[in-house]
Amino acid sequence: MGRLGTVLSTRLLTKRYGSLTAVEDLDLEVGAGELFGFLGPNGAGKTTTIKMLVGLLRPTSGNARVAGIDIAAEPEKAKALIGYVPDAATLYDKLSAREFLEFSGDLYHVERRVRDRRIAALLKLFDLHERGDDFLSGYSRGMRQKVSLAAALLHDPQVLFLDEPTVGLDPQSARQMKDILQDFCREGKTVFFSTHILEIAERMCTRLAIINHGRLVAMGSLQELRHMVGQDGQSLEQIFLELTGSREDDVSAVLRGLEN
Amino acid sequence: MGALEGLGLGLLLWRVQLQMFINQTIRSRQAGRIAGTIAGAAVIVFAWSWEAFITWLGVLASHRVPLRIDPVQVLSLAFLAYTGVLVFSSLLFSLNALLLNPDLDVLLAAPRSVESVLASRMVVQVFRLSLLSLLFTAPALVVLAIANHNPLIPFAFAALYLLYPVFVVVIISLVSLLLIRVIPVGRGREVLTLFGIALGIGINLANFLLNPAFRDSGFARRPGLTPSLPDIPAASASWLPSGWAGRSAAAVLNGDLATAGQWMLLLLAVSAAIFAAGSVLNGRLYMAGWIQAVPPRRRHATPRGRRSRGALPLLSPVLAAVVIKDWRMRTRDLAQLVRFIMPVVFLFVIFGLRFPRLLGAVRSLGDGPPAAMIGLIPAWILLFSLSISLGLSAVSLEGKSIWVYAASPNTTLRLLQAKCWSTALPTALVVALAALVAEILIRPGWLWAVAAVLLAIAEAGAVTTLMVGIGAVFARFDWTDARRMMHPVGIFVGMGLFSVVSAASALLLVISIALAAVTRFPLVTTWLAAMTISVGGAIAVAALSILFGNQRLRGLEVG
Repeated sequence: MGRLGTVLSTRLLTKRYGSLTAVEDLDLEVGAGELFGFLGPNGAGKTTTIKMLVGLLRPTSGNARVAGIDIAAEPEKAKALIGYVPDAATLYDKLSAREFLEFSGDLYHVERRVRDRRIAALLKLFDLHERGDDFLSGYSRGMRQKVSLAAALLHDPQVLFLDEPTVGLDPQSARQMKDILQDFCREGKTVFFSTHILEIAERMCTRLAIINHGRLVAMGSLQELRHMVGQDGQSLEQIFLELTGSREDDVSAVLRGLEN
Repeated sequence: MGALEGLGLGLLLWRVQLQMFINQTIRSRQAGRIAGTIAGAAVIVFAWSWEAFITWLGVLASHRVPLRIDPVQVLSLAFLAYTGVLVFSSLLFSLNALLLNPDLDVLLAAPRSVESVLASRMVVQVFRLSLLSLLFTAPALVVLAIANHNPLIPFAFAALYLLYPVFVVVIISLVSLLLIRVIPVGRGREVLTLFGIALGIGINLANFLLNPAFRDSGFARRPGLTPSLPDIPAASASWLPSGWAGRSAAAVLNGDLATAGQWMLLLLAVSAAIFAAGSVLNGRLYMAGWIQAVPPRRRHATPRGRRSRGALPLLSPVLAAVVIKDWRMRTRDLAQLVRFIMPVVFLFVIFGLRFPRLLGAVRSLGDGPPAAMIGLIPAWILLFSLSISLGLSAVSLEGKSIWVYAASPNTTLRLLQAKCWSTALPTALVVALAALVAEILIRPGWLWAVAAVLLAIAEAGAVTTLMVGIGAVFARFDWTDARRMMHPVGIFVGMGLFSVVSAASALLLVISIALAAVTRFPLVTTWLAAMTISVGGAIAVAALSILFGNQRLRGLEVG
């Protein structure tokens, strides 16, 4: 738990689409200053959970609170404290990065002078200052990812939600993003991010949660997870495979089947 | 070889398209889509019945009054005119297929030759066009087959529909491949739109200038031809495909199958040769250079002082941000911009060329509300077009980027407010300008002119707001092609409500004139009362639509 108390919590958070249960009875607690990794195989319910936490999807039952504010009951109030970077950020192609950031700043009620100062700083931070006036349609996936992270940071949120933030980034940019997120947490703010790259999660996160088939299967620090599976010294990858039921043997068997 | 492989691949693509169509309609298991399919089928059946009935009447009339027309000339003309349609749709399809459709990469990544992939596109296009031709003419062909006791007529025409478009599709495909080499990356949609506009205006203007039906004196009219038909003698030339198709079609209708077969064979041989040669050439052209080698255009940074500071007087920062963002999106995307300027262009084509005569007719009405209100007709046409194109698409304009707003700490009602501003402002401005110019030219008396302009502005604001609300109720956020931004049902409802508002306003005007005559009240008082009711009614309906729209957006989940 973070040193400054709980900033994000969910109670029995559930999302159903007809007969399909995407997320079931999810209980999470994330503290201030934490860099929290949310892991799970494809289709486990990571994106659905994040979308419920940022107010883009309504839970079927249960609730989620950001800094004590119920996101479903007071969405505008809670959203003012949140920054969100989706997995494949669809941006307005016919705006330049600078114009998009100006737009985002206004949406989040950032005072104009502060907004312009922060935009200049963020464009420089993400090495986008030379292309800041180009249309977003000409940006690569990695550059778009940087723009959406800059937009998420612009209003100085308390909690940052990132869905697969390192997808599409070159190693240099991934490292840069990692440093930025760690600096952000050092200021007592919280990062909640989902990823497939376990190596990054292992090195960056203070605590982790693993979700499978919509249910939370484990939560804690890496050390706590190791204790949970009963084998110290295991890598996060081994713990992940153990907890989500994915077996290397199964993969080999399937591959052998394909060859035959 | 590439052509044959292309034919096979084309059939495969065609099957996939058909499968997708069935999955999206009959098999969709969505009540709305199934209802839409049934409604669409009902409209087609109704149109077919009507077409069959009209054709039957034509056949009966031709038995009573023998026509002195040359069927070869008329049918050749029809095929020549059809060539215009083929050029237009093929160019759009071809550029679309080469620049915008994402499946090109998938096909090119498959172990198929480039020639066959490009040839398959042409095959799909030919199938589409021939199917459309059949869809439009099938009932008439069946009636003609019954009347002439010749069951082969529909089949012979179906074969002509399949063969005739081939040379056009091949030539246009080659032209498109040449064109895309000079189109910068990311500008495909814009160039496509520009071509669409140029061709649309060109065909309209050419029709207006050349078609005797639009002219006081006929154009190169020959005895024996109905005066309303254009006459282009070259259409039936024996060296033109339209002449071959016309001769074959006329021979089929006369029951002369041998002659029909001869001309059709010629068309088949030439089409096959052009298709084979075109497939090879297409492949060579494609391999010779591809647009992706062209670097994307860089924008020059706008000087700080000249850049908009993102503020609009009287509007809060959030509203101003959305209004400015929408304005930038619409003016930077030609496809969006066209929605704004096309009505003006067509208004010019419709009214501009006959302007002096129309103005004289309206002026002859003298001072008073009838002349002032008739002067609002161009503004009303603009209002119809702009409110539908801008208002209905206002919310859907966000597309997949709706998450940016949805994740921000703002209500959906505020988004709708912003959308009303972003659409009502330009619409009211253009409508006011059109009304002002018309009233200055007509001079119906200053009081009536001012009242008419004010009425136009108020109605523009109310009607556009109404459309924003309807657009929110039927909002689409999953579109990738701007043409699919608006929901067909939304368009239908929007047009219906616009008609209701227009009819109610016209009715109120008539009532106000009649009431003034009966009660001997000054006309200005009854007219003002009528127009207040008209504007008030429009505002009430608009407010209601915004409430419904907000309800829909509040329930929105960006999943």
